[in-house]
Amino acid sequence: MPVDTKRVRGPDESQSPLIFLPKSAQKVVPKEGREDGRQRGQTDVRPVFARCGLVSQAKGSAYIEAGNTKLMCSVYGPREIERKDETDMKSGRLFCDFRFAPFSCQKRGAWIQGSEEKDFSLALLESLRPGVCLHKYPRSQIEVNVMVLENDGSVLAHAVTCASLALADAGIEMYDLVLGCSLRQDGATYLIDPTFPEESGSCVADNAENQGSVTVALLPSLNQVSGLQSDGEMGEETLVDAVRACIEGCHKLYPVVQQALIKSVRRKAPPPEN
Amino acid sequence: MSPMKLCVPGERLCSTEDCIPGTGTYLRHGYIFASLAGYVLRKNEGEELPMISVVRETEAQLLPDVGAIVTCKVTSINPRFAKVHILYVGSTPLKDRFRGTIRKEDVRATEKDKVETYKSFRPGDIVLAKVISLGDVQSNYLLTTAENELGVVVAHSEAGVQMVPISWCEMQCPRTHAKEFRKVARVQPEYLQA
Amino acid sequence: MATVQVSEAEKVYIMHGVRDDLRVDGRGCEDYRHMEIETDVVSNTDGSAKVTLGHTAILVGIKAEIGKPRPMVADEGFLEFFVDCSANATPEFEGRGGDELGTELSNTLYKVFNNRNSIDLRTLCISPGEHCWVLYIDVLLLQCDGNLFDAISVAVKAALFNTRIPKVHISEDEEGGKEIELSDDPYDCMRLNVENVPCIVTLCKVGHRHVVDATLLEKACSEGGRGSLDPESIFEMTETGKRVGKALHAPLMEVLQKEESLGKKRQKVGFLG
Repeated sequence: MPVDTKRVRGPDESQSPLIFLPKSAQKVVPKEGREDGRQRGQTDVRPVFARCGLVSQAKGSAYIEAGNTKLMCSVYGPREIERKDETDMKSGRLFCDFRFAPFSCQKRGAWIQGSEEKDFSLALLESLRPGVCLHKYPRSQIEVNVMVLENDGSVLAHAVTCASLALADAGIEMYDLVLGCSLRQDGATYLIDPTFPEESGSCVADNAENQGSVTVALLPSLNQVSGLQSDGEMGEETLVDAVRACIEGCHKLYPVVQQALIKSVRRKAPPPEN
Repeated sequence: MSPMKLCVPGERLCSTEDCIPGTGTYLRHGYIFASLAGYVLRKNEGEELPMISVVRETEAQLLPDVGAIVTCKVTSINPRFAKVHILYVGSTPLKDRFRGTIRKEDVRATEKDKVETYKSFRPGDIVLAKVISLGDVQSNYLLTTAENELGVVVAHSEAGVQMVPISWCEMQCPRTHAKEFRKVARVQPEYLQA
Repeated sequence: MATVQVSEAEKVYIMHGVRDDLRVDGRGCEDYRHMEIETDVVSNTDGSAKVTLGHTAILVGIKAEIGKPRPMVADEGFLEFFVDCSANATPEFEGRGGDELGTELSNTLYKVFNNRNSIDLRTLCISPGEHCWVLYIDVLLLQCDGNLFDAISVAVKAALFNTRIPKVHISEDEEGGKEIELSDDPYDCMRLNVENVPCIVTLCKVGHRHVVDATLLEKACSEGGRGSLDPESIFEMTETGKRVGKALHAPLMEVLQKEESLGKKRQKVGFLG
């Protein structure tokens, strides 16, 4: 293409103007309490809306909404495995694909999978795998696709919950549901199920200790932790307390998830005749 | 009747002393847990304990298993084997495509050395077969038709007309009266409703 | 990665051993295998280290280049990690086979260094918003024999300890243009403070106990990173991890300092040692 030399072309790389805002104009996460009225140091997760079976083509699907975090997941399979190796003969294989929609974050993302998305895919896979009865699906693969429509924090945790809902909706045999919960540690206190500004912003003065985040995936009725991601730095006791708080947060989600699933079973078919 | 109980995966249903685990459940530490989301069904079948199972609107996704009777469509043949796509397991249609192989040796029970695959199947035939192995890394599902009830059930002649079986190894075209070789299945009457 | 098959009998034997704090190779539950560290092994780098742990061998090379600071943090330099799973280690890594593991390992490294205290990134800044040092940390797996995470973290730490970044200063001319000047003395270098660079400790739950630095056999006895854990054993394991990490860190720093104090007299072992 010929270059228009008369035109002043923009720089090759562009940055969001938001980061050049003066410090005073930037949104500051309040030091006390939380913007959405929740309390610090309490396990009051955002209210969750969950529904199954919205993608008719998929074997199973789910949509979850917590605050402004919105994501959907669809499950395909079990179908014949494409890439074979010796280990797949006895049990099935789970594939997870985690993606952000390009418009889901503050900064536009690319369509191709970035390294953060790959990292999340792996974490999702490791969190879900212990929950699925893969030995019932020899020679088969089950695909889990998660798409984040809007990122307002704690995406991995909600992706885990959403994916397990979709798997259950697909009628894949599972040992248990898998629920996820995130936490942002901020010094001595914590913010459960953080929103995006809470997750990414540093909340108190620099050099404070115990700044980090934790994501836990829990099998609620077996009381087993299937995934644990931790980022940042934390003392050992703080970490233990954070994990406990996350587990508590997971249990709060359980009734909502249960109801969503039962509703979808009921919608699909009337009770069978005895 | 009271509304039926529903459950989600991981829910504890009862102790093994009260029920026998059925489909959609698993055992752990002496208790029966649900592995599916669905309706909880207790059935008394004359035995001491009722069978407890979890059922969904559609039958749980079936996968071809050893010993299962499957309906398949022949996609290609060569002198050593015929390749097929598995369409049904029992009477349940499969949503996804699974591939299988019928080796020459597994076409019929007797005179295995005289079998010629192109005298047994043609691409496009609908065949009833039984799964004998899930196969290994290189191969697909291994199927057999070495029983009287197994073999070709629907075949079309060169003229494109559905043929009628005339013996266990021949079918005839009703229009041209040409005979073609097939490993014909003696279809059990109970399969003939459709 | 290389996998091994274990029979039921072997499994029981290993699990009973772990229960009694005596592992197949004679170690206790919290002992590492024999570890060898050598720094300054590749002359073309600004810092390098080679670590062998059992039969796992890791080579880390660090190169410092001048780059532009990230707009969000204008007064800090940054680290870039790249882990290459070469087909030398196992044929499964051939082609794109090692990519998945490589991304996993480098993502873990990013996560481990994503905090204020690991390394002071402000020391890498040359002029805020314009120039900073970028440290390219390249990790090469030479041999895989389990426990890659721990071996890599130790190797990265040793290589960072060994890293010498040339001193630069900025001179301003009359028109306000800035110029970066490199010091003439090749020994005029900046060192990094690695006192707080973390070591990764991987724990593997075998039976009811957990072991440090699991061999491939032991890993095959546990769920091999695919299972789930009850919360209590996670808490126990974090405690052990912290204890073992501290016990690993002190002698590591000592060894590194000792090696450096030998100076030029040091006998180089290289790759055939």
